[in-house]
Amino acid sequence: MSDKAAAIEVDVVMAELHRRVRERMRTELSGTGGSHAFDDPEIFAEVESLLRAAAVTPEAQPLVLPELLGEPHTWRLTTKMQYQSHRSQGAASLILTLKQRILMPLFRWLFEYSRDNFERQRRTNHVLFACVQELAIESALLRRELRRLSGARSAIAPRDPSLGSPPRQ
Amino acid sequence: MKLAFVVQRYGADIAGGSEGHCRELAERLSVRHDITVLTTCAKDYVTWENAVSPGRTTENGVTVRRFQVTRPRRIKVFADLSDEVFDGGASPDRQHEWFRENGPDVPELIEHLRSEGSTFDLVVFWTFRYYQSYFGLPLVADRAVLVPTAEEDDAINLDVLPEFFSKPAGYLFLTPEEEQLVSDRALRPLHPSAVAGLGLEPVAPGAISRAAIDALGIPVKYLLYLGRVDRNKGCDALLENFQEYAATHPDITLVLAGPTKMQIPEHPRIRALGYVSNEVREALLAHARALVVPSWYESLSIVLLEAWNHGIPALVNGRCKVLQGQVRRANGGLYYMFPAEFDEAADYLLGHPEQRDAMGRQGLAYIEREYRWPTVLSRVEGLFDDVRYETNRRSNK
Repeated sequence: MSDKAAAIEVDVVMAELHRRVRERMRTELSGTGGSHAFDDPEIFAEVESLLRAAAVTPEAQPLVLPELLGEPHTWRLTTKMQYQSHRSQGAASLILTLKQRILMPLFRWLFEYSRDNFERQRRTNHVLFACVQELAIESALLRRELRRLSGARSAIAPRDPSLGSPPRQ
Repeated sequence: MKLAFVVQRYGADIAGGSEGHCRELAERLSVRHDITVLTTCAKDYVTWENAVSPGRTTENGVTVRRFQVTRPRRIKVFADLSDEVFDGGASPDRQHEWFRENGPDVPELIEHLRSEGSTFDLVVFWTFRYYQSYFGLPLVADRAVLVPTAEEDDAINLDVLPEFFSKPAGYLFLTPEEEQLVSDRALRPLHPSAVAGLGLEPVAPGAISRAAIDALGIPVKYLLYLGRVDRNKGCDALLENFQEYAATHPDITLVLAGPTKMQIPEHPRIRALGYVSNEVREALLAHARALVVPSWYESLSIVLLEAWNHGIPALVNGRCKVLQGQVRRANGGLYYMFPAEFDEAADYLLGHPEQRDAMGRQGLAYIEREYRWPTVLSRVEGLFDDVRYETNRRSNK
């Protein structure tokens, strides 16, 4: 991506800045009662890298967990304003007009304040869904690797003498 | 070639990015091509109120034909409809309605395209999100070139867009990131296409003195934000990040130059200048330690290119793929995603003058390679030739 003739490589500088930010975060977290696992810089780097990938997942990117949650209206935050009435058609249209033309202008500031907060929550939910997905992927890959390693080990490992001789055919 | 350029607003006094892109290309290409700009009588992109007389004029050698907007934008209806369609699951009819409410509602322009569109070799549309492109492009799809100016905002996720994006005969993108974004939404690679932004004229090194900004009391050591000071541009986060940074670095000032659309905190190290003259603007760009671009959504940051044109490096919001991509391709600055990274990156740029200057020079070299007018125009005309060749080949089959 970068210019080969460049005297200063942005990617190199950014890698160093990321390392310093990571170390700063780790020190702060360790110093304020964070997990002891973060005493190990390598562990912290792995954790930070995984969570960072989740945090920058574009909102447009489809994720597995929302699909599994079922119909979106049963779980997704709704930020739009819906004007509804359970009354018959004539009365309903009058009530809807009142809601839209008189009540809504009065309450718009409150609606917009709430909507901004809902938007933030929706973004947070997306990041959390992405985190869970990243962890699930990591877990699946580790399980596969574990199965591969345990398969290889059982194929080459010398037998434990305490188990006795294999039964004769 | 006989070309029509279709854009929502047009004129030397119109500040929008896509409108400026359209006008700059129209004026430069009109030397070699017969260009007619089809646009509206609106000047205000929020209300679309008619502000200019309809009809035909010639502006800097370009024929401009303006059509009246039949009704201004209904702001609250549009806001509620935006909530509805961006929430997902809205019917195609409601999404079409979104484009209608977004405006500018110019049915006469659409009728003109229907009746006269085939008299042009190519019809170039700016900005996918507006009425004139969404409803006009399908009428001349066989000869249409779309300049989507797409960003990673809510509108790009509308369900009706994959079909719309598959209609044009050609595509002109502003950055490789925008090309990727639109191709992803179209669910296929888009050809023929070209990536060509805006050209810039060279600035003579050392030609701009500090006099204009000395008169305003601007200190030597400052970071510059240039543009509308608005939450939608990421300025709220920038102000928070900067105040945190300035708490431990009291010798640096943040200068904000542009119309202010939000409250600016009282802070001894934040200077909000409001709208500034071109002379002040150029002096601010020429003498800044770095330009800061905090926006989340950009299809091309022209101000970033302008900073590099002055040899000034940039500090940009890395969550915006376009900005991060531009900075990394140019090796012309640094990026951040959260406050701690802002601190470190600002520290690096302000504390390493040699490296900072080198990044500014690398940004300028990138402009020389990619963003001088002869380069930009040859890419645009190359695309037009390709699209016309393909169009003729298909019609001769």
